[in-house]
Formats: sequence, structure tokens, C-alpha cells
Amino acid sequence: MEYLGIELKKPKVSFFDFTCCEGCQLQIANKEDTLVDFLSLVEVVNFREISSEKKDHYEIAFIEGAISRQDEIERLEKIRKQAKLVVALGTCACYGGVNSLKKRFSVEDVVNEVYGHNPVETLPVKSVKEVVAVDFEIPGCPISKAEFESIILHLVLGTEFRFKKYPVCVECKQNLNHCLLDEGKICLGPITRAGCNAVCINGKLPCYGCRGPAEENNWPSLKQILTEKGFSPEQIDEKTSFFNSLTEVTKNES
Amino acid sequence: MSYEIPRENIAAEPFMAGPPDFNRKSRLMQTDKVYECMITNIVELTDMEKLFHLKIMDPGESRLFTFRPGQFLMLELPGFGEIPISISGSSAIRERIGLCIRKAGKVTNMLHKARIGTKVGVRGPFGTHFPLERMVGHNILLIAGGLGLAPLRAPIYWVNEHRSEYADVAIMYGTKRPKDILFDYQFDMWGKIYNYDIHLIVEEPDENWKGRVGLITELFNEVDIDPHRTYAIVCGPPVMFKFVCNHLNQVGIPMDRMFVTLERRMHCGMGKCCRCMVGSTFTCVDGPVMDYWTVMNLKEAI
Amino acid sequence: MLYKTISKANFKVFINEVIAGNVTIAPKMTDKDSEGNPVYQFQQVYAFDEIALNYTKTYSSLKNFFLPFKESLSTFQFDKNEWKQKIEYSIHPRVIVGVRACDINGLLKLDNVLMKGKYPSPYYVARRTNTFLIGLDHEPMADCFCQSLNSDEALHGFDLFLTDIGDKYFMQINSSKAFNLFKNVQINDIETEDEEKYIAEKKRIASLFKTRVAITGLSNLMDIEFESDVWKKWGDKCLSCGTCAMVCPTCYCFTVTESIDVSLKFALKEKVLYSCNLVDFAEVAGGHNFRPEPATRLKYRFYHQHRGFVESYDEPKCVGCNRCGIACPAGINPIDVIHDLRMEDVK
Repeated sequence: MEYLGIELKKPKVSFFDFTCCEGCQLQIANKEDTLVDFLSLVEVVNFREISSEKKDHYEIAFIEGAISRQDEIERLEKIRKQAKLVVALGTCACYGGVNSLKKRFSVEDVVNEVYGHNPVETLPVKSVKEVVAVDFEIPGCPISKAEFESIILHLVLGTEFRFKKYPVCVECKQNLNHCLLDEGKICLGPITRAGCNAVCINGKLPCYGCRGPAEENNWPSLKQILTEKGFSPEQIDEKTSFFNSLTEVTKNES
Repeated sequence: MSYEIPRENIAAEPFMAGPPDFNRKSRLMQTDKVYECMITNIVELTDMEKLFHLKIMDPGESRLFTFRPGQFLMLELPGFGEIPISISGSSAIRERIGLCIRKAGKVTNMLHKARIGTKVGVRGPFGTHFPLERMVGHNILLIAGGLGLAPLRAPIYWVNEHRSEYADVAIMYGTKRPKDILFDYQFDMWGKIYNYDIHLIVEEPDENWKGRVGLITELFNEVDIDPHRTYAIVCGPPVMFKFVCNHLNQVGIPMDRMFVTLERRMHCGMGKCCRCMVGSTFTCVDGPVMDYWTVMNLKEAI
Repeated sequence: MLYKTISKANFKVFINEVIAGNVTIAPKMTDKDSEGNPVYQFQQVYAFDEIALNYTKTYSSLKNFFLPFKESLSTFQFDKNEWKQKIEYSIHPRVIVGVRACDINGLLKLDNVLMKGKYPSPYYVARRTNTFLIGLDHEPMADCFCQSLNSDEALHGFDLFLTDIGDKYFMQINSSKAFNLFKNVQINDIETEDEEKYIAEKKRIASLFKTRVAITGLSNLMDIEFESDVWKKWGDKCLSCGTCAMVCPTCYCFTVTESIDVSLKFALKEKVLYSCNLVDFAEVAGGHNFRPEPATRLKYRFYHQHRGFVESYDEPKCVGCNRCGIACPAGINPIDVIHDLRMEDVK
């Protein structure tokens, strides 16, 4: 393959799912109009949702899901040894995601609540980078297919991909939405990295920050705004800790 | 009943017919149409910088493209982006456009992978130029730091081509390390043929370096400046031209006889996107070449 | 300019016929804020009754019909190592009904930059010349300060402009296109009584402005107070979210992005409206950022509004609609910021 006379790579890629809903893989598989083109850019070695073929020779491993069991840790370490590049795919893999809600309770209570009298072995939820070294992270719950395709293209072309540095508000206002903070809701758009086209707010759902913090994120100011609007610290914390994706920002201030 | 508003077809306007002429501002034209160019030569200057020669493929467009030393153009690599690059070659040679490009971002990294024959696009030229006509009969002091020699090459070629019109010409050039020195293969020619007084200095010498060591301002000790007869052209990072221009000011050169080029990230080149604005001034239209008096009075320029 | 009157009943007939023949855009109620106040936006309408003619002000300005938030500048078609550029300026005529004077003045400011500037933008010219504008006078809101910026009256830049004088509208006809539209709808010549009512209404509207922003000397003050603590005070609140620039009727700065299709067969070059408040607005190749702090970026936005633009076009860029002040999540509004700057009473 060539592009503008520049030689392209055709990387061997694998997708692996851990503790998750596999919705991010589904995002990749279910946009049929570009799937064929996408599959010609890379050589897919493992991808459970579209192929039963399995091989052990791959260069890039996409890891979907959080890590919550001992056997997952061992499997992930094996993948890390095999892959040249480990990419965390989706909010669960990048930050723990929704699974992190488990952190609010003790492991015993969680097992008891979910499995009752048939307990299973489980650990506190970890993101992929807390277990092995991660080369690149693609956040989103689910990931944006357009952004994912762009990242793969950059990879194939051998050029650096850059996430948007600004917050969701830009895309939100470009979609002519009315600010949900003005409608009495807690929206974390002002501190969350754009790139999702404000899809939640377009549907009147406030942003919970699944894509992690924007480069410039004035949390002290947003916190003050929310407090002045009458929200309690608990209400605010419930939203900011939902995906465990903004912890680095919200816990930093003293 | 219904009323239909008639359509105004911009595409049928006469401006659609010809190629855009960027030297004629304020004329409605296809502002985003690029001239298709072929990369005809690539010179590896350092690990980080390469000199590219471009040829505009359409002869009509090639005739239209004229520039003045100091101006820049927008270089398009389809799919990757468009970047502002100051023109680093002779304005008298119509067959090729010289661009000295450092690997710094997405587009430039890709360009460094390109081969001879790759097709790229350009728009321009844009911006102000060095007032070389005004400098006729005077001494010229050309001062560059690092990559700053690239935009200086255009006025150097101009002076070469009109050497008899100018008095003494000196080049002062400083880089971080000896291996960062650009266009060293031309220094002999400039010195011997065109009688330039050339001074080099590096900050971090290697074992083979036999020249001067230190900051560029130290070269002032070896250059005699006649403040009443001298124009200065200074290119380099803001910290560097600030120190250099302050020194020239003390020597007595009026600030409106010192010219610098400002670097900002233009996205349009036409005073629209505001990305290159410095205080109240568009670097792409009111610059990149400005006299130091103007720069001094601009907020946030330095 | 022609001056006529049209009865409200005939105006409705007229608008319905315009809607039948053209894409028509008008203010509509789209949301409610937490206090139950209606929120309006310019949207496509399909019948006269959908139009909220008595709207207060739209949350976003109408600039996106002239400067779309995302606009294709060109496409590149690839064939092996060869490529061809394609550019289109195709735009269908459309009508915008119920535009306030401040918004028309906002468009006039954009005209200065994009139609009369050093490189007129064919993209903008195509949109502007294919948009039929029907203006409408209104009572100012409590926070409107367009009068202070001389934007409360539109002298040109529209096709039709209406002022409510009871059971009819006093109408300014400013284009032949507009005049042609009235061939089948009855309009009347101005009578003395209409004139009196028009003058009285204009006077009444002018007397209703509650918010004033002192503009005299502001341009120089921007320079003099460049290092003022005021910028830090508001910069600390600023979320750098770009909301202000997105809703502003005159903010036009943008970024250019290119993307390659997964098929590798074509690439798209797009212009995306940007904001000088965003963190990487002044970043250059290699990563150096000329305005890394929120305060310097916020300051720059005001500096451009009241100094940079004035230097280029002899008038401020701001029209005084206070949309940015309403939309700002952090409650930063130009009225308070300029007031602070003039008083220097930083707490």
C-alpha cells in the first residue's frame, strides 16, 4: 500500500475483551459502510465479534475492558509480552469505567449482591495501565468509531494522532445545544475532552466525563459553579466518579 | 402561491475561471485553491532539516507565482494538513521554489518521508517582505539564530543578484551545536564571490569545532557597525531577536531599520482565522516581516 | 430604500408563501432553562405559526448559517500517487425571518472581514448573497447593551426590515429581490399616521435600554490595562470551554483540519470554527504555546473585540447582545468585565 508515494504499513492487530460489555468492539464492527475499507488497512488476527479465527502473531493489541480477576491479570501480561503496542480501548480499559463503581463497596458485599450463594473470585477494579505498560489510550463509553478509524489511519500512515485538547462544550455549542447546567443538571462537559461530538448532550443527557479530562480543565471553577447552583458535594462526587475518568482532576485540589 | 428567491451563483463569477492570484489582495478569487507542485529535489541539511525544491506544474500558474524575500506560502500535503513555510530560495528563479523545512509536526514529519516526484500543493505568497529597495546604498547586517537562516536565504539571494547596489554585507549566524548549522556549503560562495563578512558561533561545541563559542550577541565584538548607514535583518526565536535588537538599538540603529520575522501558526494566510494574531496584528497579513519598532509596540509579540 | 406598510394579516400570507417556496429559518422555542424561561434558536420552519416572532433573543446567534461550525473547504481525490483538488461554493437560497438589528450589525461586521477584507471569502460570499434577510424591531432585554455599541439600529445589510406599529408593520424594502416578492401581496404607501407611529415606536424602544457599557476610550484602555489584575480575576473563573465564541454573532476565528477517508481514496479539508479561549489556540509547531494561561486567552478575546478589530475596521467587534454572558457556564459577561476594567475595583 502507498499513499502520496509514502509507503504504508499493514499492522497485524488483535482485539481482546476483559471486564466490559464489548460495546467498543461492537462500535468498530457495526459501521458496515466503512468496515471493509477499515479491514483492508490492517490484518485482523483476533477479533471475537467478527471472526472466530485466533492466532498468536500480532503487533498491536487492543484491550477492551477493565481488569477485575487474577486470571485476567495473567492473560493481560501474556498479551503485553506478545504485542509491540498495547492500546487501551474504551473508558473501562483506560480508567476502569463503570466497573469502578465496585470501588464504593467491599469486595464481599459486591460478590454477595451479585452472585449470592455461588460466590466467584474477584478483585478491586483496575485500569489496564495499572497492570501493564500501555502505549496508547482511546477513551470513550463507547469509543467513537470515527475517532478510532482516524487513529488507525494515523497508525498505518505512521503519523502522530492528537486528541482534541479542548472540552466537550465546543462541540456541544456547535450542535446548537442549550447548556444543561442552565437546565439544572450536573454536566461535566466543561472539563471533559471533546471528540464525541457531544453525543450525550445532543440527547439531553449530561456529560459524565467518559473521555477523561480536557487538557485545560478548570475543575475548581466548575466545582464552585455547581456548588453555587445548590448541588451537594455528594451529588457532585457521584457524577465525577461515575467512570473514574476524572479522578486525576477532581481529587487533585486540596 | 409560493415565491422562490432566485439563486446567486458564485461559481459562475469570472473569478472562477483563472487561477487565484494571491498578489492581488481584495479581489474575489478561489482563495483555497492550491497550485499543484512536484517535489523536484530534496537536500538533507541536518537530522532535522531538509531543503525541498518545488516546481509548480502548470506553466500559467508558475508564471503567476512571484514573491518578495520574506514572504511565506501555505504548503499543502493533502490529507495531512497545510502549514505556513517561509520561502527560502531566490525570488529570481521561477523554475523552483525552495523551502527549508524542520521536522516539527504532523505535516513536516510526513514531508520528511516524501520522495522526489511527490505531488504537493501551495497557496500564496502571503505576508509582508523585507524592504530591500529601501536598503539600497546601505550596509546590511543579516543576523540569524538556528532555523532563522532559512527565511534569510531569500534576502541573501536578492542581495547576491543586486550586489553592486548595496555596501558592506555581514552575516552573523549562531546555532546550538555545530551539527545544527544550515547551508554551510554556501558560506564559502557567499564570502568569496559576494564578499560577505561571515561570522559563526555555536553554544555547545563538539571536539571538531574550531570557531567561536557562545551566544550570538558575542559576535558583536567582531563586527563594526555604522549605525547611520546600516539596516539589520534578524531572524530567530523571540528571545534571540529581542537581545539582538536591544543591542542594535544601543549601537544606535533606529528601530525602524531593524526587521524581524514573527513565527505563528497560520491556518489561512489571509487574515481570517485569527490564529496568528499578535495583539491587534495579523502575522500573516501585517507580517511576518515587521520592523522592530512595530514589534516592540505590539502586545505579546516577544 | 423604499418605505411601505403591510398589514399583519398580509404579512402572514406573505411569509407562508415565502416558506412554501424556500428553506426558511426563524426563531423557535427549543428548550426551557431551570427557571422556566423559554430558550430560542434559529431553526428551519414550515409554517408561519411555528415562528416565535416575539422571541427574546436566540441562545446561539445566526452566524452558523453564514459561517457553518464545520465547512468543507475542499476535497482531494486520490488516484495512486496523483491527486486532484475539488472546491464547491454551491448554496441554495434561504430566507431568515425575524432577525434583530444587533444580529444584522453582527453580519455587517463579518462582511467587513469576509467580503470586503484583503481576501474575500468565496464561501461566505456565496452564503451571504444567497440569504434573504427579514429584520424585525423589538424591545431590548434587560441585559442588551447594543445601544452602547451603536448596534441597535440596522441601516443596511438586510432585504426587509419591519417595525411593529400596531395592526401593521412599517417596512423598509432594501433589495429588488424583496420588492419583487410583493407583486402579489398588497402593501401600502406610508401615511402621516404610520410615520408618527414609527417614530414613536423607535423612540420607545430606544428608551427601554437598561444596560450601558461605556465604550469611550476602551480601545486604549485595553492597551493600558494589559497587565491588569482584572484578567487574572476573570481568567481564574474561565473554563476555557469556548462557549462564548460559539454563540457569539461575530466570532469568526477557525482552525483548518484535514482527514483522510478510510478508503484512502479521498481526503477532506475542513474549516472548523474555533475559540481564542481554547488551550491550543496560539500553539505553534513544536508545541510552544504563546498563550498558555486562561487569563491571557480571555484577555485576548476582549482585546480583539475592542482593540484589534477597532484598529482594522474603526469599530468594536462586539454588538452588545450579551449572548456570551448568558451562555458562559462560569457567569463571565462582558458587562462586568468591562466595568471591572474601567473601575479597577478588583476584590
